[in-house]
Amino acid sequence: MKDRKYNTLKCYLWSLPSLVLILLIVIFPIIYTGYISLTNMNVYHWTNYSFIGLENYKDAILVFDSGFIKAFVMTVIWTVTSMILQLVIAYVLASLLNVRGLKARNIYKTFLIFPWAMPGYVSILLWKTGMFNSQFGLLNQWMNKLGLTAAKWLNSDWSAFWCCTIVNLWLALPFMITIIDGALQSIDHSFYESAILDGANWFERTVYITIPMIKPIIGPSVVITIFTTFKQFDVIYLLTQQVGAKTGANIHTIMTYAYENAFITNNYGYSSAISILIFVILILFTVVINRRQKERSV
Amino acid sequence: MSKKTKNIIKLTILNLFFILICFVTLVPILYAVSVSLNANNSLLSSDFSFIPKNITFANYKAVFVEKPIMLWFKNSMIMAVITLVISLGTGIPAAYVFSRKKFKGRKTILKTIILLYAFPSLLSMTALYKLLVPMGLINTKIGLIIVYTGTEAIFALWNMKGYFDTIPYEIEEAAMIDGASPIQIVTQIVLPLAKPTIAVTAMMVLIYVWNEYIFAVNFMTGSDTYTLAAGLYSLQATEMSGSWPVFAAASIVVSIPILLVFFALQKNMTTGLTSGGVKG
Repeated sequence: MKDRKYNTLKCYLWSLPSLVLILLIVIFPIIYTGYISLTNMNVYHWTNYSFIGLENYKDAILVFDSGFIKAFVMTVIWTVTSMILQLVIAYVLASLLNVRGLKARNIYKTFLIFPWAMPGYVSILLWKTGMFNSQFGLLNQWMNKLGLTAAKWLNSDWSAFWCCTIVNLWLALPFMITIIDGALQSIDHSFYESAILDGANWFERTVYITIPMIKPIIGPSVVITIFTTFKQFDVIYLLTQQVGAKTGANIHTIMTYAYENAFITNNYGYSSAISILIFVILILFTVVINRRQKERSV
Repeated sequence: MSKKTKNIIKLTILNLFFILICFVTLVPILYAVSVSLNANNSLLSSDFSFIPKNITFANYKAVFVEKPIMLWFKNSMIMAVITLVISLGTGIPAAYVFSRKKFKGRKTILKTIILLYAFPSLLSMTALYKLLVPMGLINTKIGLIIVYTGTEAIFALWNMKGYFDTIPYEIEEAAMIDGASPIQIVTQIVLPLAKPTIAVTAMMVLIYVWNEYIFAVNFMTGSDTYTLAAGLYSLQATEMSGSWPVFAAASIVVSIPILLVFFALQKNMTTGLTSGGVKG
């Protein structure tokens, strides 16, 4: 008994530095965010703020015009669109990479994963100036060549949404292709051979062999990607909402919405309430996913 | 048509398709490279080609001479190395203990860490700012290092714990029977086996600090305290102002180290990351 207590103590000693760091730098600020969310702290009340209870939460959830609900719906649409496109395109490309006799497949793969290797924010800024810029962006140069009028790609909600989606796909596809490619290669070829003998066509082989076989392998990576897409901030912020360089499009995901209220309109109390709401959504999401994974492994 | 010719046609089409896809993928990067090297700055002319007719390095020279990029590089490196040392130094023993030992409170802590892992640090930016101001740590390296260390401590602990889980315990038991002390087991057996994950985790920490711009832009006020990411962010060309060729050159300079690291570690990338990823 004594020995066990001693052991527990030793384990905590080993992990103490890490846990203390996390407690002070991560957990404490989250608790403090919760505290700020109950106050009216903003640029006028930076130190002399007062408690207003759940007022900020009421504003966010019950007042429809507040923008939070809209941003949340937008985030869901954004995540679903991105995930569907990502999975379909990555699956098609990975399958084509695995066609027998394609000798240059490793060269293609190296080029295709290039966007993954670039620093993300650099790529986004290159897309913004290099491709979408209305004066010297490559897209408008091509439009000119084709005799079309130059477009302001990032200025309206609809086209900005698709520009963001395309950039996000460009950034995320390499990871997804790598994962699906790895999964496809792990499938034993004898499955296909016997299916072909049984007369199964390409579609049947895909639905009954390939997809069920790769599902458990790519599952965890897909979950990670759903999280990162849901939490995506850089793409939308850098393309359309940079301070002093807003393009006019008004698309917000919950992350950019929280940021805008904190550091642009300086409504710290309200923004902290949004942060806590996002955290709650992420926790619920994590719990659901973990429960489903547990059920499957039992 | 014989089956063989049919197959050849199929493969040719497929190859052409992939060449096209690869080109489309690389267009934004190729365009930046070409603009940064182009001597006659004919950005607005319509006869743009990907291979510049007159090559110049003037834009690259401008990056190094006119912009304090070496200073930003130094700032980034200092912060990255300190963050790395702290988060791995605390993370390795913690990850080891959480992977190997059963003790009271272990499960609760691990569950909390999964949740914290899902929490983007951006959301507590206001709170961090408000906490760092009275300590006089805004606009200092220490302030940013504190922020980065918190995020990366969680990542390091979680990612390495996942990898330690895959190292069979029997190896350690054998060493224990041979009379090795716990410290000896960790330093002489576990650490050498865990090299791939330590390398990948270390690189991910470095890359994180190298690429993080939003905290750096908000918490640092002068351009001499900027990190590379914040500096590049401040250089970007907008619709109205700024020099796009210089920015393109700077982007490439900043990206090259990351590209080298990525392709050097590519093989370890998948094992070092996904094994830690989500397993509970």
